Formats: sequence, structure tokens, C-alpha cells
Amino acid sequence: MAQRYDAIVIGGGHNGLVGGAYLARAGLRTVVLEQRHVLGGAAATEEVVPGFRFTVFSYVVSLLRPEIIRELELPRHGLAILPLDGTFTPLDDDYLWRVDDHGRTMRELRRWSRLDAEAYEEYGRLMVEMARFVKPVLSMVPPDPTVLDPRPWLPVGALARRFAELSDRQQQAFIQLMTMSSADFLDQWFETDPLKATMSASGIIGTFLGVRSPGTAYVLLHHYMGEIDGAFRAWGLPRGGTGGISNAIGAAARAFGAEVRTEARVERILVRDGRATGVVLEGGETLEADDVLSSLDPRQTFERLLEPDVLPTEARLELGRFKYRGSSGKVNLALDGLPDFRCLPGPGDHLRGAMSFSPSVDYMVRAYEDAKYGRFSRRPYVDCVIPTLTDPSMAPPGKHVMSCFVQYAPYQLAEGEGTWDDQREAFGEAVIDTIEERAPNIRSLIVGRQVLTPLDIERTIGLSEGNIFQGELTLEQLFFNRPVPGWTGFRTPLRDLWLCGSAVHPGGGIMGAPGRLAALEVLRARRDGRRGQRAEKTTSGEATGPGSGGLPGAALGGVGSAGRAARRAFDTLRDAAAAAGRGREGGTGW
Amino acid sequence: MVSGTLPTWDAIVVGGGHNGLVCAAYLARGGLRTLVLERRETVGGAAATAELEPGVRIPLVADTVGRLRPAIARDLRLHDHGLRLIAPAVRAFAPQPDGRAVTLWADVERTARDLGEWSAADAAAYPVFDARVRVFGRFLAGFGDTTPPDLHAPGLADALAGLRLGRAWRGLGTVDGRALLRALPMAVADFVGEAFESEAVRATLATRGVRYAALGPWSAGSTAHLLTDSAAPGAGAAGQTVFAVGGPGALADALAAAARAAGATIRTGEGVRRVATLDGRVQGVVLASGEEVAAPIVVSALDPKRTLLGLLDPVELGPTMVWRAGNLRLGGVVAKVDLALAGLPHFPAAGEGPTAERRLRGRILVGATSIDDLERAFDASTVGRLSDAPFLEATIPSLADPSLVVGAREPRHVMSVLVQWAPYHRREGDWDADRKRLGDLVLARLDEVAPGIGALVTARRVLTPLDLEREFGMTEGHPLHGEPGLDQWFAWRPMAGLGRYRLPVGGLYLAGSGAHPGGGITGAPGANAAREVLADRRAGLP
Repeated sequence: MAQRYDAIVIGGGHNGLVGGAYLARAGLRTVVLEQRHVLGGAAATEEVVPGFRFTVFSYVVSLLRPEIIRELELPRHGLAILPLDGTFTPLDDDYLWRVDDHGRTMRELRRWSRLDAEAYEEYGRLMVEMARFVKPVLSMVPPDPTVLDPRPWLPVGALARRFAELSDRQQQAFIQLMTMSSADFLDQWFETDPLKATMSASGIIGTFLGVRSPGTAYVLLHHYMGEIDGAFRAWGLPRGGTGGISNAIGAAARAFGAEVRTEARVERILVRDGRATGVVLEGGETLEADDVLSSLDPRQTFERLLEPDVLPTEARLELGRFKYRGSSGKVNLALDGLPDFRCLPGPGDHLRGAMSFSPSVDYMVRAYEDAKYGRFSRRPYVDCVIPTLTDPSMAPPGKHVMSCFVQYAPYQLAEGEGTWDDQREAFGEAVIDTIEERAPNIRSLIVGRQVLTPLDIERTIGLSEGNIFQGELTLEQLFFNRPVPGWTGFRTPLRDLWLCGSAVHPGGGIMGAPGRLAALEVLRARRDGRRGQRAEKTTSGEATGPGSGGLPGAALGGVGSAGRAARRAFDTLRDAAAAAGRGREGGTGW
Repeated sequence: MVSGTLPTWDAIVVGGGHNGLVCAAYLARGGLRTLVLERRETVGGAAATAELEPGVRIPLVADTVGRLRPAIARDLRLHDHGLRLIAPAVRAFAPQPDGRAVTLWADVERTARDLGEWSAADAAAYPVFDARVRVFGRFLAGFGDTTPPDLHAPGLADALAGLRLGRAWRGLGTVDGRALLRALPMAVADFVGEAFESEAVRATLATRGVRYAALGPWSAGSTAHLLTDSAAPGAGAAGQTVFAVGGPGALADALAAAARAAGATIRTGEGVRRVATLDGRVQGVVLASGEEVAAPIVVSALDPKRTLLGLLDPVELGPTMVWRAGNLRLGGVVAKVDLALAGLPHFPAAGEGPTAERRLRGRILVGATSIDDLERAFDASTVGRLSDAPFLEATIPSLADPSLVVGAREPRHVMSVLVQWAPYHRREGDWDADRKRLGDLVLARLDEVAPGIGALVTARRVLTPLDLEREFGMTEGHPLHGEPGLDQWFAWRPMAGLGRYRLPVGGLYLAGSGAHPGGGITGAPGANAAREVLADRRAGLP
């Protein structure tokens, strides 16, 4: 006899856990299934070198939604975020060092350029205004732009009204942020090359784009949306590494009554009569549920866990077009001491923040050019933190761990560039060489190292092509286009199967928003469903049950005649549903 | 009021390029006493035909005119004013390193058949892809003829929320609507990559997504550029290749004739020094000669940077607008090489005989061999260098239009070559010193696909980005009056707040390619601007 739940969440990464916690909080019998022995997916802490705990994949936090922290009472479950102060950009014989202390940053910038120091303040103000304007989008369920039912558009309408009220200059800035390259955007403000390089670097993290590629400026804004204790633009290190966040969410989920299982690898999703009805675990155990939420990316969900024929051909094609293109790697170092920078020797506060190897915009462009043609950057952009300076519990006394995020490491290596399995060490060397150029003692400090290529990321935590955001965060893959145009409301063409990972709006980063929004949609659909069933008894002729996730699938027609037929079918269904929807309070959300 | 002169004019159009002429013609038809002031001795701006050697005439900058909006040609009766168009059966011909070529024909089926040589799957995909590009192109053509909405209007929210983005949007339907929204911000490499597998086919189709722009095939938004270029009658995936008999200058002449017939006056050789303003209102213009001409309406068909920073008093504009105008992205990346040839060059990839000649009548794409090859040529420009292997788009207009060389003493052909990714802003070196080197590089590049072409050259003219700026006043040499990226598009072209043809001084308008829907010989910015001027006038605004 199969175990029966109200909801099953596949994947115990931070989004899966958030989703599970919200469902359990609403009283649903919920289970979260994680294949690994640790929770957190890409937000996990592991002891890889004895005595040294690495935040293996992700390493800092900024975007975790405050409402999640509040609603799940995460601090009570052990969440503590320690501030990460400053960004240090080492150069050959100089450096650029920005800290939270406004006066010090101003003095430092004036040393480089008086104009830039002035512009920096104005820039900061504008970005905070922009972040405030755009933040509601993070808690919005994207509507389908081709559906004329106005209800899902209401929140967007509110946003549009606020947009209309912005000044020309603010409108301009918003549009530019959505469309420009980060370097071009910053060129308008600043002249100091290492400043532009370091700031623009945040625009390329996790994407297969360069600092001069249009579309990267958006991520600059993403970073101003980060909020810790109400302070915009703050980055932090979770105590115990990013795994500390996952463990806190996991504890919250358990406290709300969810079952959270590790080493429970889902083998496949059960489908009956065109609905997802449960999962089969490795080993044969079967779990059943009304709703199945996958926090895995769509490729893992639909290609590994389901038979190809559950999706109509067009939907399969469209899903195949969703771009992953992992571009980042990670090098974790266990160190015997602290790195000593040639440009600023000795220990000091500059080691306590982020150390960004981004000396010039051209350097960043060259790093990208390597990747464009299928090789890892010989001189990569590296963003390092030494969490042990903030949280000494991560390593034995006097020892340190250094977490190095590296870009670019293209998942797909060109012909003649070998395979990632035989390039792993060379890649690690390129990273250490890059650091060594500016901190010559680094090599002698290393007592253990872990090199993670995009292939390793894919193999270990199941992120397709090693993309840390479960799919590129490019404009055509954001908002209502994420992951597939027309799959709105976190639904998939398979009824009762939902997506709740970074592959759905609003995307990646340790944010938790996809997990929360998807869970809230599931809950809403269940409420509407009950209402719908009641309504069905009194009024006959309701064509489609509310929350019927199958509908978007019918809309995924192509240009062929089959596509047109599907489209007509969809239009008919939509009209019927809209007509039915008018008779109810609330809506089906699509 | 400009002293001492009575306002004999209702409107002055600064710049007699194609958009200025279109705008003037519509204004004159609307009953306005209209004066066009052109700095050069001939009208047309970049739509010009010039003599390269005695009796040999060649398109000076732009070489084709197929994107001209049909409504404009109809309204202004350009045919009656002498405009004759020729559309060869071939659209584009892209020689490949292995000696073959990708050929795009006007005839979709024929193209698909030919693509079968590269890939059966691509041959099958082509008609579907072409149909989709046509649907998008039609939508964008209508979109281009529309004045963008006011981004501050309270109704904007309702428009978005209720999705009343117009009948055209609904006409697109669910599938195409979604596909268009997904396609616009895409990199053209992805757009073609999703449909085709052969690198040669992908590159050939992708070139229109980067032409004239500081975009590479992997740049987001290059698909929007490709689709905007496809907003021309019958363009489709192959793009249009339509010549005006007598070269683009003949279009300019027809437009000038139409404007004059409608009552406009055109004065050439009259540069405008500045726009005269008083209390935030236009008073007229001051000519280079110092002469003052009064008018309550001034329409600038110059690029927005030159208009705002060159013609207006910075005090009038205010520091914020000056800063924003200074940040307009205009860095041009194209150069032009015009060649007179003693005979038709031999392209081995075109085959032999009359068929070969037919393949050469459209756009000849040199370097459209793979997406990576295009991207590499683009890479150099991002660090301020000219690529060693630039992408070239050449036409031999004398094949379709022998009238260009009918006056030559010896048999001649002319070849018009666009050099893509020759950046105006260079890290080192200067264009004046490198003009010859650029010409030589282009000939060496052409020699790869047309061996021996160098020996045929009897005359050549090289227009560097710097020359484009000096000769045609295109700031920073940008032929589109501003980058066509999505950050300078639609209601925010040239910038947010100025997207409705009205500039921040009362009575001053923008009618050039720096306004929606952007560059290329469409006439749409000029026509749209004229409509807005007339609407304001009807409303009693100026």
C-alpha cells in the first residue's frame, strides 16, 4: 500500500524546502524528497577536507525574501546571517576597496576619480529607487501576455501605473537596466576601469554572457534588491555556510509538520489519466499525492522523471529550447593561513569581504571570449570569500576556508579542448594562478582543494549543464517566459505537476521566491478546487475544473497545422474557462 | 522672435535626408508652408548616388531601398515622381569556405530546395521559419507606423493590464504572440540556431540581425533588429533586396519632387548652426551664414545627439538632459567601400554562366560562414579594433540597373561594400591614416571569394566611420542615428520621454532615424513625426 500525501515536493534544495514548508504550514500532509545525504541542493555545507566545512556551491546570500524569513520564522530555526563587508579588487600594484562605511568608500573612490565618487552616490540612490520599483515583481505570479482575461494582469497593471508615475530619467534607467549590458550601463556613470569591471561582474554571474552583452544590466538591479534586516544592497554569510539556510528552512518545514527525507531519490513521477499522482523512489517505494511539486529543473523533471509522451510534441520542443548553458565553476580551498596580497600586504579587513579578481572591463571581456569559443577562461573572473574570518566554526582554529566562484567555465567544451573530466585540474590551476598573480603566497597555504566544473555541478546536485540558476536568466527566459511561454502559474502541461525551483519565476539565487509562490498557487488551486466542486454540483456545464494544469499544454501549438488545431482547442477551452471563471470568486490564475 | 524677419514659414525641416524629405512632403500636404534646409549640395543624405569615375555612378552609402513603407510611396505618389524599383529574384548569396554557397531567393520554395544541399532538416525548416518571420515582420511594420504611447499616461496601465495593445497584437494570436515576446530580446544566434542546424545557413540568415549595429550574433536583442529589418513588404527570412533605378539618389529625387509638388521649398547648401529658442519655445533657426529664418515649428531630421547637443543651447536643455543626451549610444561600427570594376568579378561559388550572374544580383555576404566567425569579427570591435576578417555585405547594383554605368567610356560594373564592425571609437590609430589600409583589407577579403577582383578595380572610394560623420553629419558615424538595441527602441527611442517625436523645447520635433521605428530607408520616422506635428497644430498646441 502506497504512502498517501496531499503534496510531494521533489528536491530538498532551498526552494523545495520553502515550498514544502509553506504547504505544511497550511496544513497539508507534505513530504520533501532529497536524493543526497545533505539538504540544500546548491545551498549546502559539507566537510570535504577533514575539519574544513565548505559551502560547496553557493556561498553568499542577499536575496532570501524577507517575507519567507518572517513567515517561516527562520531565525527561530537557526538562521543567522552575518554581514559580509566590502568588495576588494586587487590590481597589480594598487587596489580598489569599497566598504559599507560610506565615508571610507567615498575617500577611496575620490582617490581614483572625483567624478566617480560623486556619481557613485547618485547611482546608488537611483538603483535603490529602481529596486524598490521592481521588487513587487518578485512576489508576482506572471500572467500570460496573450490571455485577455484581465484578472491575472491586475498586479502588473499596478506596476504599470507606478511606472507611468516615474520620472523620464527613472523610466529610462529602468528600461536600460532591462536591456543594456552592464558595462555599457555603467559607462554612463563611471570612468574608473576596475570599478566598472567589478560592478559589471555582478551582471554576468551564472549567465553565459559577457559584461558587454546586452541584457546583463538587469542583474545589477537584482543585486540591489538584496535585503538583509531591511538594508538594501547587503550581502551576508549565513552562519554554518549556505547549508545553514537550508537546514533552517528544513527545520521550519519539519516544525510545520512536513516530512523531510534525505537519500530519497525519486526514480519517476507516476502519471495516471493525464495527471501526476505520485512518485516512485529508488528502491521501489511508491508515494502518492494530489499534487506533485518538482523543484528540479524542467529537463530533470520531464526527461529523467517522466516519459517523453506526457508532453505534446510542441511543448517538448519548446522545453528543449530552454537554455541552461552553465558557465560557472567553483574552487574551494582549505588554507593553512591567510592570503597576502601584493598590493595590500598583511592581514586586514579587506580579506573579510568579497575579493573580486576583475581588474578591468577588457579582462572581463577576454574571459568571456574564451568561453564563447568553448574553453574555460585562462584568466577567469574569480570572486572569493573567506567565511572563516566571519564564522570561525567553519575550520579548525587558525585555519581558513576560501570559497572561489569562477567564471567562465562553459559546460560545453569545444572540440579539441578535451572533456571536463580531464580538464578539471587544469581549470583549478588556472584559478589558483589567477589568485597567485596578486596573492603570491596562496599556493603554499593550500592544504586541500575541491574543484567543481559545471559537469560536477550537474552530476552532484542535478543542475542541468551546471547552470546555477536552473536556466539562463536572460530576458527571453524571465517572467512569463520562464521556463516556457504559456506555462503560467507554476503549472506544467501535466495536470497536478507544478514547478517550484529556480527554473520558474523569479529565477535563481538563494531567494526562495519560486518555492513560496508555487506553494501559494497550489494552495489557491486547492481552495478554488473545493469551491469548484461545490459549484459543479449546483451548476452543470463547467467545462474545466479550476486548477487544471493541463490547459497551458493545449496552448503550446506551433506554426504547423497541428499547432493551429491545438491553438483553436486552447482558445475554446480558455473561453469556456473564462466564462466559468466569471461565475466564481477568484480565478484559476492562468 | 528672431529679429527683423516675418515668419514666412510654418515649419522648417533641418536635414534633407530621406526622412526629412518625407516629413516635409507630409507637412506641406497638411497645408504647412514648409522649408527644408540641407547642408550638402544634394538632398537624400545617406540615400545618395554619386559619381565614382566619369559616367560611373554608385550608391554612396545605403544601396537598397526596399524597406520604404508602401503607404509613403503611395501617399507621395513616388512612382509619378519618377521612382522605379527593381527586385532581383535573388536576395542573398553567401559563399562558403568549401567552395559552395548559401543562396536565398525571393522564392521561398526555391530557397528551401537550395538549402537541401546543406541540410534536409534546414530545407524543411525554412518555409516555417520564413512564415514566422513574415508574421512578426508584418506586426512590426504596423508597430513602426504607430506613434509610441506616452509612458507617463495614466492610460498606459490600463493598456497593459487590459492588454489593449491594439488589434495587431490580438491578430497575432496566442502562439505567435508568445513567440514574438520571447524572440525580441533573444540573440539572433539562438533565434536561427533553434530552427537550423547548418552553420552556413545560420550565419547567412543571422547577418541582418547585426548589420549596421554594434551587436554580434550572440548579443541579446539582435533578433529584434533582424525582425525590424524584416518589417518590409515581402522581406521574410531572406530580407529584401530592392534597388531604385539610378541608385538611392533617385529615391531622394522622387521624394524631393513630391515635397516640392506638395508646396515645400528645399534649399541645399544651407547648414543650420542652431535652433533659436525663447522661453522654452522654438523661434526658428540660424543658418551657418548667420541668416535667421523664423518659424514656429522646427523639425530636425538630424540624429538626436547632434540635435540636442549641437543645435540647442545647453542652458535651455538643462544639465540632466545634456547628460542623458551625451549618453545616447551612437558609436558607429560600419564603413563603406565603393568600387568601380572593369568587369564582373568571378565568384567561383556562384558557378559558371548566366546562372552565376543571377546569384550575384542581390546581397553578397562575405564572412557569413558560421555564427562563431561573425562573432569573432564582432569581438574586435568591442575592444575598439577593426577585425582582420570583417563581415562584408556587397551589392553589384549595375547588374540589375545598367543605367548606373551607361555613361562610362569602357564597360564597367560598380560594387557597393558595407564593412561591418569597423568601430568609430578606436583604442589606437585614426581613421584618416587608415583609410587606405581599410580599402586594402576589404579587397583582400573580397579576393577570398572572388579571386582576382583587385585587378578589376578602376576606382575606389572608402568612407570610414569618421567620413560618415563628417560628410553626412551622422554623429559618431552611426548610419542609424543611434544603436538599434532594445534600450533605444519604441517608446524610448531615442530616450524615455522623447519617444513621441517631440523634443524638450516647444515646437521642436525629431523626424530622423533616431526616432521610432529607427534607421534604414523606411521613411517611417519622418511620416510619423509629420503626423504628430500636424496633430499638435490641429490641437492648437504650437
